[in-house]
Amino acid sequence: MSKPDIITAEVIRNGIIAAAQEMGTTLVRTAYNPLLYDVQDYGLAIVSAECETWAEAPGMIVFVGALPHTVGSGIDVHGIEGFAEGDVIIANDPYTTGNHISDVSIYMPVFYDGKLLAFTASVAHWADVGGKTPGGWCPDSVDVYQEGICFAHEKVVAAGDEVQGLWGVIRSNTRYPDIVIGDMRAQIASCRQGAERLQKLCSKYGFDTVRDSMNLAIESTEKDTRRHIRDIPNGTYDAEQMMDHDGVVAAVPFPIKLQLRVEDEEIHVSFAGTSETRAGPVNAPEYAVRSVVRAAIKGVISPIEPSNEGDFKPIIFDIPPGLVISPQRPAPVDSYGYVCIAAYELCVRAMSKAIPERCIAGGATLCMPTISRFDPREGRPFILSDPFDVGNGARPNADAPTMSINVMGDVPNSPVEVVEMRYPLRIERFGLRNEVAGHGEYRGGAGIYRDYRVLEDGVTLFSALENTRETLAEGADSGGDGGPAQV
Amino acid sequence: MTKQDKGHRIAIDVGGTFVDFVLLDESTGEITLEKQPSTPAHIVEEVGTGLGRLPVDLADVDKIFHGTTVALNTIVQEKGVKVGLLTTVGFRDVLEIGRGSRPEIYNPRYTAPVCLVPRYLRHEIPGRLSANGEEVIPLDLDVVEARSKELVEAGCKAIAICFLHSYSNHEHERRVAERVRQLHPSIAVAASHELIGEWREFERTSTTVLNAYVQPQFENYMKKLSERLQADGYSSPLAMMQSNGGVVAASRAATRPVMTLESGPAGGVIGAEALSSETGLKNLICFDVGGTTVDVALIDDGEIIERSQSKVAGRPVMGPTIDISSVGAGGGSIAWIDHRGALRVGPQSAGASPGPACFGHGGTELTVTDCHLLLGRLDAETFLGSRMKLDMQAAEKAMKNLADKIGLSVEETASGVLKIAGTNMTNAIRSITVERGLDPRDYSLLSYGGGGGLFAAAVSDELDVKSVIVPRAPANFSAWGIVTSDYREDSSHTYVSPLIAETLPQILDVLASLKKENLERLQEHGFDSEAIQSDMRADVRYAGQEFTVTVAIDEKWTTKQEELLQGVRERFVELHRRLYGHGEAAKAHSTRDTYFSVLGKTSTIPVFNRDDLVCDQEISGPAIVEEWTTTTVIPPNWNLVVDRIGNLILTQSS
Repeated sequence: MSKPDIITAEVIRNGIIAAAQEMGTTLVRTAYNPLLYDVQDYGLAIVSAECETWAEAPGMIVFVGALPHTVGSGIDVHGIEGFAEGDVIIANDPYTTGNHISDVSIYMPVFYDGKLLAFTASVAHWADVGGKTPGGWCPDSVDVYQEGICFAHEKVVAAGDEVQGLWGVIRSNTRYPDIVIGDMRAQIASCRQGAERLQKLCSKYGFDTVRDSMNLAIESTEKDTRRHIRDIPNGTYDAEQMMDHDGVVAAVPFPIKLQLRVEDEEIHVSFAGTSETRAGPVNAPEYAVRSVVRAAIKGVISPIEPSNEGDFKPIIFDIPPGLVISPQRPAPVDSYGYVCIAAYELCVRAMSKAIPERCIAGGATLCMPTISRFDPREGRPFILSDPFDVGNGARPNADAPTMSINVMGDVPNSPVEVVEMRYPLRIERFGLRNEVAGHGEYRGGAGIYRDYRVLEDGVTLFSALENTRETLAEGADSGGDGGPAQV
Repeated sequence: MTKQDKGHRIAIDVGGTFVDFVLLDESTGEITLEKQPSTPAHIVEEVGTGLGRLPVDLADVDKIFHGTTVALNTIVQEKGVKVGLLTTVGFRDVLEIGRGSRPEIYNPRYTAPVCLVPRYLRHEIPGRLSANGEEVIPLDLDVVEARSKELVEAGCKAIAICFLHSYSNHEHERRVAERVRQLHPSIAVAASHELIGEWREFERTSTTVLNAYVQPQFENYMKKLSERLQADGYSSPLAMMQSNGGVVAASRAATRPVMTLESGPAGGVIGAEALSSETGLKNLICFDVGGTTVDVALIDDGEIIERSQSKVAGRPVMGPTIDISSVGAGGGSIAWIDHRGALRVGPQSAGASPGPACFGHGGTELTVTDCHLLLGRLDAETFLGSRMKLDMQAAEKAMKNLADKIGLSVEETASGVLKIAGTNMTNAIRSITVERGLDPRDYSLLSYGGGGGLFAAAVSDELDVKSVIVPRAPANFSAWGIVTSDYREDSSHTYVSPLIAETLPQILDVLASLKKENLERLQEHGFDSEAIQSDMRADVRYAGQEFTVTVAIDEKWTTKQEELLQGVRERFVELHRRLYGHGEAAKAHSTRDTYFSVLGKTSTIPVFNRDDLVCDQEISGPAIVEEWTTTTVIPPNWNLVVDRIGNLILTQSS
């Protein structure tokens, strides 16, 4: 690689970060589903032809970190020569994307002068992908086939032409076809926006200079990451957590165990002693787990800077197949969030044994009721996924706030006034639940009360709970634990 | 013309670094500019001092417009009063929980700005409305009485009131506000519905609380300023600029300070709108480069693009406001080496103090302004009309520190810093257009603020924007914009006639009927006829010419025909000379060695004085045009032409 000058490299890096952010803007501006335009339940990234992250837009970090793997799986399917200009690919196969089936990736190759430069990629929570539970997140599926329709890197647009048959299949396999098709178009528009910007950069600076500049950015970021890791004392740091149950085999707890071995400039991550793949849908696809572990480590050592692949290269995984964190088809995965969140928290908990001054105490796990009505005979169909803010872990030097869980990234809650206007619900209380906050010199974040009153017939409220027996929100430095969620 | 008319108006724009003044003499259209340093603790005095330097007696000024950052600074510095909150039962924590989002997505230690009202000062009032405004639980005013008393006893100087669904029905809020005002007349009270009628309870509560938080200081500032102006002889009410670009009486603004947060930058956009209609350029990117930030806004098809929500110091503010995006890339932005060894510019700024190294006030870090000086785009001797001499040595020293670290030459580093700052600006403009689904190539770039002219052409190059407009007095353009805003009614009548004694009676008839028409319309708006000022103008040209010059007509001329004939002729000849010059293009007053990265070398280029330029004069780049408060760079691939109202128009050469 020729070395671009420092000025051009920085201009291009800024341009590519701006391009990723424009992708986010385009998605929010064109989406149909409030989960996208209000709750920002999506991830966007620009990924090189070598499957390295160049830039990303604010969104869900678990999504963002999985996108390079998703693109890599697509290259495995089609071959690096198998993409044409104007192709758009769809994928939600959990084992090759690292998401559950409701989170659908749409990505496209970006060519310049006939050469493949990169991929612009998006993943968004779809309103519904069929399956036994409206809106996804099955609490009790026993295989992936119950969870919804699966796409394994199919072309929805081939060389600029929509593949009509596939669009028809999508439309007839969702409970909310208009929203879903609208959101898919928004994802495509977003990828095209990013592609156009990349091509503009190429026409100004040249294909090679763009690629080399980003390689330089990754290289220098990696160097910085290695420097940070060198500051962490060598050693093995571990943490473990018992999960309540898997949703199918009731009342049988299972362990997740994580080991971080810090060796000079690298962190080796393993999960020895972690449960085998479970019968119920709490299994988390390996790419999702890698994504959250990477995010946790970056969050501790370099929390503010926009990420690229250089943040993650010195993190090396040793994950055998067949664990609850590396399930194989057709293991159920729809409630994968709990294990992902646990993996994140365990990673921070393990790091706090090495560098407590940079870590936070344990935070609460996800609580997200889904309130829906899908039978039009009962009234207008709707679906509301309402992720709660939770008590965050106390800081080493300050009380913690109540906000979205760490893994979620930039995901705002739904305003009460908006919920009450759109859905037949009244929220009678939305307040802090201080009594469950972990006590200590610095207090953990309070929980949330949110009381719903259902005003019409045919509406179901469903919410799964995890970590109610052994709390995930473990106190640090002899601080108290946070309390579990309750319905 | 009524007897109150004194023919002058003034705009005062208080910014972070300077207070800008614009004096407009309405009879001649002449504009006078003034600047005064802006010291936060003594704004009223600084305003008074600056006004004192203007060549007009305040008694002869009939309108003062004011844009201010007082409310904004109070919030940014968290120096407001203790606020209590009354809200719907079940929802007192809404303000603290916020939207729970994490803009720094990887940062587990991210914490939102501290909640301005602690929990013990947030009280719940029984009473509930549904989303469509129906009462579900009746309001309990006895609880209001008890709780507001507690708040006042706890030392609150202001009480914010925000109830669920008040955008749909504000009856509960109104009754609570009425009761609290009755009970505590000396406490500032802000009720959400008096400010905004939009849903999303957190954002509305936040807006209401911010209003309450700054209200006492703001009222106090308005009072002091009005007193000072009165003491100096000014007798009309002070007009306050709001974030949405409209003006309101100071008395009304005093209770709605949160609506003035963006009033400074709004002025520039109002000016841009006026310029858009004057020039016929319907699509403008407003590009305001200040010391700390670049503010970007859009005029689309002749209209200002607004938005309904903004953020101040991380806290949401609802209410219509001109859609202005800011990025930390201004003249004072600091160049630095990041953790990866990459060169970065901003968002940290050297501000007004110590300022860029070349200001010689002890700044040691390299800023954007230092780079302009080092590359010869600014002149150390003529900066700010020679009021300030720039310290080249200090700039060189700051540069050396940085250039050594990255191993580039002074020219390469300086032009690199400017390139990075320029692309940061470019990305900001692109982001605001993409957000609106617009294409920057359909726009012209209107450049103002002290640093606009130095970046405008380079940024336009990046955006594929084909033309740049630099208005007159660009550094005071925001203040100029404020001066152009007002309640106004215009009417015109096309009546073509030679200006000779024989036609004077018909001309006077036309003027009289236009005046009558407008007076009636304004009276319908409820203005007292004594309070209305009318100005008359005529478009005049030499017989046989195509282009006209607009000439103001003094009312007293309308009673004496010979004075009208002579007055219009004299004024026309003077204006025509000023606008069209003596037909001879100005020469460069000097040359300067300046570095352009596209040429990769330093070359000697001509420097023009803007005041010397005449209408239609063309200059090919590379060149520099200097004026008192701004320098405009014309890069090698750009051309400049002066339009008929004195704007500089830059276009890319093909």
